[in-house]
Amino acid sequence: MRTENAVQGQVRRADLLPSAQGAASAAPLIQIAGLEKRFITRSGEPVVALSNVNLDIRENEFISVVGPSGCGKTTLLRILAGLEHATGGMVRAGGEAISAPRDDVGIVFQQATLLPWNTVLSNVLLPVQLKGDRSQAVMDRAKRLLSFVGLGGFVQKYPFELSGGMQQRVAICRALMREPRVLLMDEPFGALDAMTRETMNLELMRLWSEERKTVVFITHSIPEAVLLGDRVIVMSPRPGRISEIVDVDLGRPRSLQTMSSARFGELCGHIRAIFGSDSPMGVSL
Amino acid sequence: MKPQAFSNMHRLQKVLFGIVFLALWEAAGRLFHISDLVLPVPSAIVGKLVSFSVSGLIWPHLYATVVEIIVGFLLGVVSGLVLGVLLSLSPLVERLIYPYIVALQTLPKVAIAPLFIIWFGYGLTSKVIVSALVCFFPVLVSVVAGFHATDKDQLDMMKAFGASKWQTLVRLRVPSALVLIFAGLEIAAVLAVIGAVVGEFVGAQAGLGFLIVTLNFNLDVPGVFAVLIYLSAIGLLLHGLMRFAARRYIFWIRRNDAPVVA
Repeated sequence: MRTENAVQGQVRRADLLPSAQGAASAAPLIQIAGLEKRFITRSGEPVVALSNVNLDIRENEFISVVGPSGCGKTTLLRILAGLEHATGGMVRAGGEAISAPRDDVGIVFQQATLLPWNTVLSNVLLPVQLKGDRSQAVMDRAKRLLSFVGLGGFVQKYPFELSGGMQQRVAICRALMREPRVLLMDEPFGALDAMTRETMNLELMRLWSEERKTVVFITHSIPEAVLLGDRVIVMSPRPGRISEIVDVDLGRPRSLQTMSSARFGELCGHIRAIFGSDSPMGVSL
Repeated sequence: MKPQAFSNMHRLQKVLFGIVFLALWEAAGRLFHISDLVLPVPSAIVGKLVSFSVSGLIWPHLYATVVEIIVGFLLGVVSGLVLGVLLSLSPLVERLIYPYIVALQTLPKVAIAPLFIIWFGYGLTSKVIVSALVCFFPVLVSVVAGFHATDKDQLDMMKAFGASKWQTLVRLRVPSALVLIFAGLEIAAVLAVIGAVVGEFVGAQAGLGFLIVTLNFNLDVPGVFAVLIYLSAIGLLLHGLMRFAARRYIFWIRRNDAPVVA
Protein backbone atom coordinates (compact mmCIF):
# COMPACT_ATOMS: atom_id res chain seq x y z
CA MET A 1 0.00 0.00 0.00
CA ARG A 2 2.95 2.20 0.74
CA THR A 3 4.32 1.63 -2.73
CA GLU A 4 0.99 1.85 -4.43
CA ASN A 5 0.92 5.64 -4.65
CA ALA A 6 4.59 6.03 -5.46
CA VAL A 7 4.40 3.74 -8.50
CA GLN A 8 1.07 4.94 -9.77
CA GLY A 9 2.57 7.33 -12.29
CA GLN A 10 4.49 4.55 -14.08
CA VAL A 11 1.65 2.11 -14.23
CA ARG A 12 -0.94 1.91 -16.95
CA ARG A 13 -3.89 -0.43 -17.01
CA ALA A 14 -3.53 -3.05 -19.71
CA ASP A 15 -6.80 -2.03 -21.33
CA LEU A 16 -5.48 1.42 -22.11
CA LEU A 17 -4.10 1.90 -25.57
CA PRO A 18 -0.33 1.78 -25.78
CA SER A 19 -0.29 5.01 -27.79
CA ALA A 20 0.14 6.93 -24.57
CA GLN A 21 3.67 5.62 -24.40
CA GLY A 22 4.88 4.76 -27.88
CA ALA A 23 3.56 7.81 -29.67
CA ALA A 24 6.95 9.05 -30.79
CA SER A 25 8.43 5.73 -32.00
CA ALA A 26 7.67 3.92 -35.28
CA ALA A 27 5.19 1.06 -35.63
CA PRO A 28 5.78 -1.61 -32.97
CA LEU A 29 7.79 -4.67 -33.98
CA ILE A 30 5.32 -7.06 -32.39
CA GLN A 31 1.62 -6.35 -32.21
CA ILE A 32 -0.73 -8.45 -30.14
CA ALA A 33 -4.39 -7.50 -30.20
CA GLY A 34 -7.37 -9.28 -28.69
CA LEU A 35 -5.36 -12.49 -28.53
CA GLU A 36 -7.26 -15.49 -27.28
CA LYS A 37 -6.21 -19.14 -26.86
CA ARG A 38 -8.55 -21.94 -25.86
CA PHE A 39 -7.55 -25.54 -25.21
CA ILE A 40 -9.64 -28.62 -24.87
CA THR A 41 -8.22 -30.76 -22.08
CA ARG A 42 -8.07 -34.55 -22.27
CA SER A 43 -11.19 -34.79 -20.18
CA GLY A 44 -12.95 -32.61 -22.74
CA GLU A 45 -13.27 -29.41 -20.73
CA PRO A 46 -12.44 -26.18 -22.51
CA VAL A 47 -9.74 -24.07 -20.87
CA VAL A 48 -9.13 -20.42 -21.67
CA ALA A 49 -5.35 -20.11 -21.58
CA LEU A 50 -5.29 -16.53 -22.82
CA SER A 51 -8.08 -14.01 -22.96
CA ASN A 52 -8.05 -10.60 -24.64
CA VAL A 53 -4.30 -10.02 -24.54
CA ASN A 54 -3.26 -6.67 -26.00
CA LEU A 55 0.39 -5.70 -26.18
CA ASP A 56 2.66 -3.76 -28.49
CA ILE A 57 6.38 -4.43 -28.29
CA ARG A 58 8.80 -1.89 -29.73
CA GLU A 59 12.03 -2.74 -31.51
CA ASN A 60 14.92 -3.36 -29.08
CA GLU A 61 12.65 -3.37 -26.10
CA PHE A 62 13.24 -5.80 -23.23
CA ILE A 63 9.88 -7.12 -22.09
CA SER A 64 9.60 -9.23 -18.94
CA VAL A 65 6.49 -11.32 -18.48
CA VAL A 66 5.77 -12.40 -14.93
CA GLY A 67 2.91 -14.35 -13.49
CA PRO A 68 1.96 -17.46 -11.54
CA SER A 69 1.81 -20.87 -13.19
CA GLY A 70 -1.28 -21.24 -15.35
CA CYS A 71 -1.41 -17.56 -16.33
CA GLY A 72 -0.67 -18.44 -19.94
CA LYS A 73 2.74 -16.79 -20.16
CA THR A 74 4.34 -19.82 -21.78
CA THR A 75 1.39 -20.14 -24.17
CA LEU A 76 1.87 -16.49 -25.14
CA LEU A 77 5.54 -17.14 -25.89
CA ARG A 78 4.77 -20.30 -27.86
CA ILE A 79 2.31 -18.34 -29.99
CA LEU A 80 4.95 -15.67 -30.59
CA ALA A 81 7.38 -18.46 -31.56
CA GLY A 82 4.89 -19.86 -34.06
CA LEU A 83 4.75 -23.16 -32.18
CA GLU A 84 1.08 -22.73 -31.38
CA HIS A 85 -1.79 -20.93 -33.04
CA ALA A 86 -4.08 -18.41 -31.44
CA THR A 87 -7.78 -19.23 -31.46
CA GLY A 88 -8.69 -15.58 -31.70
CA GLY A 89 -7.26 -12.12 -32.15
CA MET A 90 -4.12 -11.06 -33.97
CA VAL A 91 -0.39 -11.54 -33.49
CA ARG A 92 1.98 -9.80 -35.86
CA ALA A 93 5.73 -9.47 -36.11
CA GLY A 94 7.09 -6.82 -38.45
CA GLY A 95 3.58 -6.38 -39.85
CA GLU A 96 3.12 -10.05 -40.80
CA ALA A 97 0.84 -12.45 -38.97
CA ILE A 98 2.81 -15.13 -37.09
CA SER A 99 1.62 -18.51 -38.33
CA ALA A 100 4.81 -20.59 -38.22
CA PRO A 101 8.31 -20.38 -36.73
CA ARG A 102 10.22 -17.47 -38.26
CA ASP A 103 13.88 -17.15 -39.18
CA ASP A 104 14.20 -13.79 -37.44
CA VAL A 105 13.07 -15.16 -34.08
CA GLY A 106 15.40 -16.97 -31.71
CA ILE A 107 14.15 -18.97 -28.76
CA VAL A 108 15.58 -20.21 -25.46
CA PHE A 109 13.62 -22.77 -23.46
CA GLN A 110 13.67 -23.54 -19.75
CA GLN A 111 15.68 -26.66 -20.51
CA ALA A 112 18.79 -26.04 -22.58
CA THR A 113 17.50 -28.64 -25.11
CA LEU A 114 20.98 -29.12 -26.56
CA LEU A 115 21.53 -32.17 -28.72
CA PRO A 116 23.64 -34.40 -26.47
CA TRP A 117 25.38 -36.13 -29.39
CA ASN A 118 26.65 -32.86 -30.86
CA THR A 119 29.52 -30.71 -29.61
CA VAL A 120 28.90 -27.27 -28.16
CA LEU A 121 29.99 -25.67 -31.44
CA SER A 122 27.79 -27.91 -33.53
CA ASN A 123 24.82 -27.19 -31.23
CA VAL A 124 25.30 -23.45 -31.68
CA LEU A 125 25.57 -23.92 -35.45
CA LEU A 126 22.34 -25.95 -35.62
CA PRO A 127 19.96 -23.10 -36.60
CA VAL A 128 22.17 -21.96 -39.50
CA GLN A 129 22.98 -25.51 -40.59
CA LEU A 130 19.25 -26.23 -40.81
CA LYS A 131 19.15 -23.42 -43.38
CA GLY A 132 22.07 -24.98 -45.24
CA ASP A 133 24.63 -22.35 -44.26
CA ARG A 134 27.97 -24.00 -43.50
CA SER A 135 30.16 -21.03 -44.31
CA GLN A 136 33.26 -19.91 -42.45
CA ALA A 137 31.41 -16.73 -41.50
CA VAL A 138 28.81 -18.53 -39.37
CA MET A 139 31.57 -20.66 -37.87
CA ASP A 140 33.37 -17.49 -36.83
CA ARG A 141 30.18 -15.99 -35.46
CA ALA A 142 29.46 -19.11 -33.37
CA LYS A 143 32.95 -19.03 -31.91
CA ARG A 144 32.71 -15.30 -31.22
CA LEU A 145 29.37 -15.72 -29.43
CA LEU A 146 30.73 -18.60 -27.36
CA SER A 147 33.81 -16.63 -26.32
CA PHE A 148 31.59 -13.69 -25.45
CA VAL A 149 29.73 -15.82 -22.89
CA GLY A 150 33.01 -17.25 -21.62
CA LEU A 151 32.82 -20.62 -23.35
CA GLY A 152 35.60 -20.05 -25.88
CA GLY A 153 37.50 -23.01 -24.47
CA PHE A 154 34.55 -25.38 -24.64
CA VAL A 155 33.65 -25.42 -28.32
CA GLN A 156 34.62 -29.05 -28.79
CA LYS A 157 33.08 -30.27 -25.52
CA TYR A 158 29.79 -32.13 -25.32
CA PRO A 159 26.78 -30.79 -23.38
CA PHE A 160 27.07 -33.49 -20.69
CA GLU A 161 30.51 -32.10 -19.86
CA LEU A 162 29.04 -28.69 -18.97
CA SER A 163 27.18 -27.40 -15.93
CA GLY A 164 23.53 -26.29 -16.19
CA GLY A 165 24.46 -22.61 -16.43
CA MET A 166 26.98 -23.26 -19.17
CA GLN A 167 24.47 -25.36 -21.12
CA GLN A 168 21.96 -22.51 -20.96
CA ARG A 169 24.63 -20.09 -22.24
CA VAL A 170 25.16 -22.40 -25.20
CA ALA A 171 21.40 -22.38 -25.79
CA ILE A 172 21.42 -18.56 -25.78
CA CYS A 173 24.27 -18.48 -28.31
CA ARG A 174 22.31 -20.92 -30.46
CA ALA A 175 19.25 -18.65 -30.33
CA LEU A 176 21.39 -15.66 -31.38
CA MET A 177 23.07 -17.50 -34.25
CA ARG A 178 20.75 -16.29 -37.00
CA GLU A 179 20.96 -12.72 -35.71
CA PRO A 180 17.26 -12.68 -34.87
CA ARG A 181 15.37 -9.44 -34.37
CA VAL A 182 13.38 -11.05 -31.57
CA LEU A 183 14.69 -13.25 -28.79
CA LEU A 184 12.08 -15.27 -26.91
CA MET A 185 13.09 -16.68 -23.53
CA ASP A 186 10.84 -19.05 -21.59
CA GLU A 187 12.04 -19.10 -17.98
CA PRO A 188 15.56 -19.72 -19.26
CA PHE A 189 17.14 -19.60 -15.81
CA GLY A 190 14.29 -21.27 -13.94
CA ALA A 191 16.18 -24.53 -13.55
CA LEU A 192 19.37 -22.89 -12.26
CA ASP A 193 20.40 -22.27 -8.67
CA ALA A 194 20.04 -18.74 -7.26
CA MET A 195 23.72 -17.81 -7.55
CA THR A 196 24.09 -19.01 -11.13
CA ARG A 197 20.83 -17.29 -11.92
CA GLU A 198 22.14 -13.88 -10.82
CA THR A 199 25.29 -14.35 -12.87
CA MET A 200 23.21 -15.31 -15.87
CA ASN A 201 21.03 -12.22 -15.43
CA LEU A 202 24.10 -10.00 -15.53
CA GLU A 203 25.45 -11.91 -18.48
CA LEU A 204 22.18 -11.54 -20.37
CA MET A 205 22.14 -7.77 -19.75
CA ARG A 206 25.73 -7.52 -21.00
CA LEU A 207 24.81 -9.55 -24.08
CA TRP A 208 21.72 -7.44 -24.69
CA SER A 209 23.73 -4.21 -24.53
CA GLU A 210 26.09 -5.74 -27.13
CA GLU A 211 23.56 -7.36 -29.46
CA ARG A 212 20.55 -5.12 -29.20
CA LYS A 213 17.42 -7.27 -29.65
CA THR A 214 13.78 -7.21 -28.88
CA VAL A 215 13.51 -9.63 -25.97
CA VAL A 216 10.44 -11.29 -24.49
CA PHE A 217 11.59 -12.83 -21.24
CA ILE A 218 9.26 -15.06 -19.25
CA THR A 219 9.89 -15.65 -15.59
CA HIS A 220 8.09 -16.31 -12.35
CA SER A 221 10.58 -14.25 -10.37
CA ILE A 222 9.47 -10.66 -9.78
CA PRO A 223 12.99 -9.32 -9.00
CA GLU A 224 14.34 -10.96 -12.14
CA ALA A 225 11.54 -9.42 -14.21
CA VAL A 226 12.19 -5.94 -12.81
CA LEU A 227 15.98 -6.18 -13.03
CA LEU A 228 15.94 -7.14 -16.71
CA GLY A 229 12.89 -5.50 -18.22
CA ASP A 230 12.09 -2.12 -19.71
CA ARG A 231 8.50 -3.05 -19.03
CA VAL A 232 7.07 -5.84 -16.91
CA ILE A 233 3.91 -7.50 -18.17
CA VAL A 234 2.06 -8.81 -15.15
CA MET A 235 -0.24 -11.72 -15.96
CA SER A 236 -2.96 -13.43 -13.95
CA PRO A 237 -4.50 -16.89 -14.33
CA ARG A 238 -8.01 -18.20 -14.95
CA PRO A 239 -8.36 -16.93 -17.59
CA GLY A 240 -4.77 -16.03 -18.52
CA ARG A 241 -4.71 -12.28 -19.07
CA ILE A 242 -2.57 -9.18 -18.65
CA SER A 243 -3.53 -7.48 -15.42
CA GLU A 244 -1.03 -4.67 -15.60
CA ILE A 245 1.93 -3.33 -17.53
CA VAL A 246 4.59 -1.76 -15.33
CA ASP A 247 7.22 0.59 -16.75
CA VAL A 248 10.59 0.01 -15.12
CA ASP A 249 12.12 3.45 -14.82
CA LEU A 250 15.48 2.23 -13.59
CA GLY A 251 18.51 3.54 -15.49
CA ARG A 252 20.88 1.35 -17.45
CA PRO A 253 23.33 -0.23 -17.18
CA ARG A 254 21.85 -2.08 -14.26
CA SER A 255 23.80 -4.29 -11.88
CA LEU A 256 23.14 -6.30 -8.75
CA GLN A 257 23.41 -2.98 -6.88
CA THR A 258 20.28 -1.90 -8.70
CA MET A 259 18.44 -4.57 -6.75
CA SER A 260 19.19 -2.85 -3.45
CA SER A 261 17.89 0.55 -4.59
CA ALA A 262 14.67 1.89 -3.11
CA ARG A 263 13.01 2.25 -6.50
CA PHE A 264 13.68 -1.41 -7.30
CA GLY A 265 12.03 -2.41 -4.05
CA GLU A 266 9.02 -0.20 -4.79
CA LEU A 267 8.52 -1.69 -8.24
CA CYS A 268 8.78 -5.26 -6.91
CA GLY A 269 6.41 -4.37 -4.09
CA HIS A 270 3.90 -2.95 -6.51
CA ILE A 271 3.92 -6.07 -8.71
CA ARG A 272 3.68 -8.25 -5.65
CA ALA A 273 0.63 -6.31 -4.56
CA ILE A 274 -1.08 -7.07 -7.90
CA PHE A 275 -0.94 -10.79 -7.15
CA GLY A 276 -2.25 -10.21 -3.66
CA SER A 277 -0.48 -11.29 -0.52
CA ASP A 278 -2.85 -14.18 0.21
CA SER A 279 -2.34 -16.29 -2.92
CA PRO A 280 1.21 -16.18 -4.27
CA MET A 281 0.48 -19.26 -6.46
CA GLY A 282 3.99 -20.11 -7.45
CA VAL A 283 5.29 -16.56 -7.84
CA SER A 284 8.52 -16.10 -5.95
CA LEU A 285 8.00 -12.97 -3.90
CA MET B 1 43.60 -41.59 -8.92
CA LYS B 2 41.42 -42.55 -5.97
CA PRO B 3 38.31 -43.76 -7.83
CA GLN B 4 40.64 -45.78 -10.08
CA ALA B 5 42.24 -47.52 -7.09
CA PHE B 6 38.79 -48.06 -5.67
CA SER B 7 37.48 -49.77 -8.81
CA ASN B 8 40.62 -51.95 -8.97
CA MET B 9 39.96 -53.05 -5.43
CA HIS B 10 36.37 -53.90 -6.30
CA ARG B 11 37.52 -55.90 -9.29
CA LEU B 12 39.97 -57.83 -7.11
CA GLN B 13 37.20 -58.53 -4.61
CA LYS B 14 34.97 -59.88 -7.35
CA VAL B 15 37.69 -62.21 -8.69
CA LEU B 16 38.55 -63.39 -5.19
CA PHE B 17 34.91 -64.15 -4.48
CA GLY B 18 34.73 -66.25 -7.63
CA ILE B 19 37.84 -68.21 -6.71
CA VAL B 20 36.64 -68.85 -3.14
CA PHE B 21 33.26 -69.97 -4.47
CA LEU B 22 34.85 -72.46 -6.89
CA ALA B 23 37.19 -73.74 -4.17
CA LEU B 24 34.27 -74.34 -1.78
CA TRP B 25 32.34 -76.10 -4.55
CA GLU B 26 35.33 -78.36 -5.28
CA ALA B 27 35.90 -79.07 -1.56
CA ALA B 28 32.23 -79.82 -0.92
CA GLY B 29 32.03 -82.13 -3.92
CA ARG B 30 35.05 -84.15 -2.80
CA LEU B 31 34.20 -84.11 0.93
CA PHE B 32 30.60 -85.27 0.55
CA HIS B 33 31.34 -87.52 -2.46
CA ILE B 34 28.70 -85.85 -4.60
CA SER B 35 28.28 -87.90 -7.74
CA ASP B 36 29.35 -86.35 -11.04
CA LEU B 37 25.89 -87.31 -12.28
CA VAL B 38 24.32 -84.82 -9.91
CA LEU B 39 26.81 -81.99 -9.63
CA PRO B 40 30.30 -82.41 -11.10
CA VAL B 41 33.16 -80.60 -9.36
CA PRO B 42 34.85 -77.68 -11.18
CA SER B 43 38.03 -79.69 -11.84
CA ALA B 44 36.03 -82.39 -13.68
CA ILE B 45 34.34 -79.73 -15.81
CA VAL B 46 37.66 -78.08 -16.65
CA GLY B 47 39.04 -81.53 -17.52
CA LYS B 48 36.19 -82.03 -20.01
CA LEU B 49 36.69 -78.55 -21.38
CA VAL B 50 40.32 -79.33 -22.13
CA SER B 51 39.68 -82.80 -23.54
CA PHE B 52 36.92 -81.52 -25.84
CA SER B 53 39.28 -78.94 -27.28
CA VAL B 54 42.27 -81.27 -27.53
CA SER B 55 40.31 -84.09 -29.18
CA GLY B 56 38.74 -81.57 -31.55
CA LEU B 57 35.28 -82.94 -30.75
CA ILE B 58 33.96 -79.47 -29.93
CA TRP B 59 34.99 -77.54 -33.06
CA PRO B 60 32.40 -78.63 -35.64
CA HIS B 61 29.64 -78.11 -33.06
CA LEU B 62 31.01 -74.78 -31.94
CA TYR B 63 31.31 -73.70 -35.56
CA ALA B 64 27.72 -74.69 -36.37
CA THR B 65 26.27 -72.89 -33.38
CA VAL B 66 28.34 -69.75 -33.87
CA VAL B 67 27.26 -69.54 -37.52
CA GLU B 68 23.60 -69.98 -36.52
CA ILE B 69 23.87 -67.34 -33.83
CA ILE B 70 25.65 -64.76 -35.96
CA VAL B 71 23.50 -65.21 -39.07
CA GLY B 72 20.34 -65.44 -36.96
CA PHE B 73 21.30 -62.35 -34.95
CA LEU B 74 22.10 -60.30 -38.06
CA LEU B 75 18.94 -61.41 -39.84
CA GLY B 76 16.75 -60.69 -36.81
CA VAL B 77 18.38 -57.35 -36.07
CA VAL B 78 18.30 -56.09 -39.66
CA SER B 79 14.67 -57.07 -40.21
CA GLY B 80 13.72 -55.67 -36.79
CA LEU B 81 15.44 -52.37 -37.59
CA VAL B 82 13.93 -52.08 -41.06
CA LEU B 83 10.39 -52.90 -40.01
CA GLY B 84 10.74 -50.77 -36.88
CA VAL B 85 11.79 -47.74 -38.91
CA LEU B 86 8.97 -48.32 -41.42
CA LEU B 87 6.44 -48.51 -38.58
CA SER B 88 7.84 -45.42 -36.91
CA LEU B 89 7.81 -43.35 -40.08
CA SER B 90 4.19 -44.12 -40.86
CA PRO B 91 1.71 -43.64 -38.02
CA LEU B 92 -0.95 -45.35 -40.14
CA VAL B 93 1.11 -48.50 -40.67
CA GLU B 94 2.02 -48.48 -37.01
CA ARG B 95 -1.61 -48.26 -35.96
CA LEU B 96 -2.57 -51.10 -38.29
CA ILE B 97 0.29 -53.53 -37.77
CA TYR B 98 1.81 -52.87 -34.36
CA PRO B 99 -1.01 -54.43 -32.27
CA TYR B 100 -0.64 -57.68 -34.25
CA ILE B 101 3.09 -57.66 -33.74
CA VAL B 102 2.65 -57.20 -30.01
CA ALA B 103 0.13 -60.05 -30.01
CA LEU B 104 2.57 -62.26 -31.93
CA GLN B 105 5.29 -61.39 -29.48
CA THR B 106 3.37 -62.95 -26.63
CA LEU B 107 3.59 -66.25 -28.49
CA PRO B 108 6.47 -68.33 -27.10
CA LYS B 109 8.79 -68.54 -30.11
CA VAL B 110 10.29 -71.71 -28.63
CA ALA B 111 6.94 -73.42 -29.05
CA ILE B 112 6.95 -72.89 -32.81
CA ALA B 113 10.52 -74.15 -33.24
CA PRO B 114 9.30 -77.65 -34.20
CA LEU B 115 7.37 -76.08 -37.10
CA PHE B 116 10.55 -74.57 -38.45
CA ILE B 117 12.21 -77.97 -38.41
CA ILE B 118 9.38 -79.21 -40.60
CA TRP B 119 9.53 -76.20 -42.90
CA PHE B 120 13.29 -75.73 -43.14
CA GLY B 121 14.75 -79.14 -42.29
CA TYR B 122 17.39 -80.35 -39.85
CA GLY B 123 20.18 -78.19 -41.25
CA LEU B 124 21.42 -74.74 -40.23
CA THR B 125 18.53 -72.86 -41.83
CA SER B 126 15.86 -73.80 -39.29
CA LYS B 127 18.14 -72.80 -36.40
CA VAL B 128 19.02 -69.51 -38.06
CA ILE B 129 15.32 -68.76 -38.47
CA VAL B 130 14.48 -69.52 -34.84
CA SER B 131 17.40 -67.40 -33.65
CA ALA B 132 16.43 -64.56 -35.98
CA LEU B 133 12.82 -64.69 -34.83
CA VAL B 134 13.64 -64.38 -31.15
CA CYS B 135 16.02 -61.46 -31.89
CA PHE B 136 13.57 -59.73 -34.16
CA PHE B 137 10.93 -58.75 -31.60
CA PRO B 138 13.03 -56.97 -28.98
CA VAL B 139 14.81 -55.02 -31.73
CA LEU B 140 11.54 -54.04 -33.41
CA VAL B 141 9.97 -52.97 -30.13
CA SER B 142 13.07 -50.99 -29.15
CA VAL B 143 13.06 -49.13 -32.48
CA VAL B 144 9.38 -48.20 -32.18
CA ALA B 145 9.77 -47.25 -28.50
CA GLY B 146 12.98 -45.40 -29.33
CA PHE B 147 11.30 -43.19 -31.90
CA HIS B 148 8.48 -42.49 -29.46
CA ALA B 149 11.01 -41.50 -26.80
CA THR B 150 12.09 -38.33 -28.60
CA ASP B 151 12.06 -35.49 -26.09
CA LYS B 152 9.09 -33.19 -26.67
CA ASP B 153 11.06 -30.07 -25.79
CA GLN B 154 13.74 -31.03 -28.31
CA LEU B 155 11.06 -31.50 -30.97
CA ASP B 156 9.75 -28.00 -30.17
CA MET B 157 13.28 -26.66 -30.38
CA MET B 158 13.83 -28.18 -33.84
CA LYS B 159 10.47 -26.85 -34.99
CA ALA B 160 11.17 -23.38 -33.62
CA PHE B 161 14.43 -23.27 -35.58
CA GLY B 162 12.55 -24.26 -38.72
CA ALA B 163 13.81 -27.82 -39.15
CA SER B 164 12.13 -29.89 -41.87
CA LYS B 165 10.67 -33.32 -41.10
CA TRP B 166 13.73 -34.97 -42.64
CA GLN B 167 16.17 -32.75 -40.69
CA THR B 168 14.33 -33.51 -37.46
CA LEU B 169 14.55 -37.22 -38.25
CA VAL B 170 18.26 -37.22 -39.00
CA ARG B 171 19.46 -34.76 -36.38
CA LEU B 172 17.10 -35.57 -33.52
CA ARG B 173 14.83 -38.58 -33.78
CA VAL B 174 17.34 -41.17 -35.01
CA PRO B 175 20.06 -40.29 -32.48
CA SER B 176 17.46 -40.20 -29.68
CA ALA B 177 16.16 -43.61 -30.71
CA LEU B 178 19.66 -45.11 -30.64
CA VAL B 179 19.62 -45.24 -26.85
CA LEU B 180 16.73 -47.71 -26.70
CA ILE B 181 17.81 -49.47 -29.90
CA PHE B 182 21.13 -50.40 -28.34
CA ALA B 183 19.30 -51.69 -25.27
CA GLY B 184 17.28 -53.86 -27.67
CA LEU B 185 20.46 -55.08 -29.37
CA GLU B 186 21.92 -56.13 -26.03
CA ILE B 187 18.83 -58.19 -25.28
CA ALA B 188 18.86 -59.63 -28.80
CA ALA B 189 22.49 -60.71 -28.39
CA VAL B 190 21.53 -62.93 -25.46
CA LEU B 191 18.34 -64.19 -27.11
CA ALA B 192 20.20 -65.15 -30.31
CA VAL B 193 22.14 -67.79 -28.36
CA ILE B 194 18.97 -69.12 -26.74
CA GLY B 195 17.20 -69.29 -30.10
CA ALA B 196 19.98 -71.26 -31.76
CA VAL B 197 20.30 -73.75 -28.88
CA VAL B 198 16.55 -74.30 -28.62
CA GLY B 199 16.44 -74.90 -32.36
CA GLU B 200 19.16 -77.51 -31.97
CA PHE B 201 17.31 -79.18 -29.09
CA VAL B 202 14.32 -79.72 -31.32
CA GLY B 203 16.22 -81.26 -34.17
CA ALA B 204 19.77 -80.92 -35.44
CA GLN B 205 22.76 -82.83 -36.72
CA ALA B 206 25.40 -80.59 -35.17
CA GLY B 207 25.80 -77.70 -32.74
CA LEU B 208 26.37 -77.16 -29.04
CA GLY B 209 22.67 -77.67 -28.27
CA PHE B 210 22.77 -80.95 -30.15
CA LEU B 211 25.94 -81.87 -28.22
CA ILE B 212 24.24 -81.14 -24.89
CA VAL B 213 21.35 -83.45 -25.77
CA THR B 214 23.79 -86.21 -26.79
CA LEU B 215 25.97 -85.83 -23.68
CA ASN B 216 22.90 -85.72 -21.48
CA PHE B 217 21.70 -88.96 -23.05
CA ASN B 218 25.07 -90.54 -22.14
CA LEU B 219 24.82 -89.14 -18.60
CA ASP B 220 28.03 -87.16 -19.20
CA VAL B 221 27.09 -84.34 -16.85
CA PRO B 222 30.60 -82.78 -16.62
CA GLY B 223 30.53 -82.71 -20.44
CA VAL B 224 27.20 -80.87 -20.40
CA PHE B 225 28.63 -78.29 -18.01
CA ALA B 226 31.69 -77.87 -20.24
CA VAL B 227 29.44 -77.13 -23.25
CA LEU B 228 27.44 -74.68 -21.13
CA ILE B 229 30.66 -72.78 -20.49
CA TYR B 230 31.27 -72.53 -24.24
CA LEU B 231 27.74 -71.27 -24.72
CA SER B 232 27.94 -68.62 -22.03
CA ALA B 233 31.31 -67.52 -23.44
CA ILE B 234 29.65 -66.93 -26.83
CA GLY B 235 26.78 -65.06 -25.20
CA LEU B 236 29.10 -62.89 -23.12
CA LEU B 237 31.23 -62.12 -26.16
CA LEU B 238 28.27 -61.04 -28.28
CA HIS B 239 26.74 -59.07 -25.42
CA GLY B 240 30.09 -57.41 -24.69
CA LEU B 241 30.41 -56.48 -28.34
CA MET B 242 27.03 -54.75 -28.20
CA ARG B 243 28.01 -52.98 -24.98
CA PHE B 244 31.20 -51.80 -26.62
CA ALA B 245 29.32 -50.52 -29.67
CA ALA B 246 26.78 -48.80 -27.41
CA ARG B 247 29.50 -47.04 -25.45
CA ARG B 248 31.02 -45.88 -28.71
CA TYR B 249 27.85 -44.77 -30.50
CA ILE B 250 25.77 -43.45 -27.60
CA PHE B 251 28.70 -42.01 -25.70
CA TRP B 252 26.57 -39.23 -24.19
CA ILE B 253 24.75 -41.70 -21.97
CA ARG B 254 27.11 -41.81 -19.03
CA ARG B 255 24.76 -41.29 -16.18
CA ASN B 256 27.33 -41.99 -13.51
CA ASP B 257 29.74 -39.37 -14.75
CA ALA B 258 29.61 -36.12 -12.86
CA PRO B 259 30.09 -33.02 -15.01
CA VAL B 260 33.76 -32.58 -15.77
CA VAL B 261 33.52 -28.88 -15.04
CA ALA B 262 31.56 -27.83 -12.01
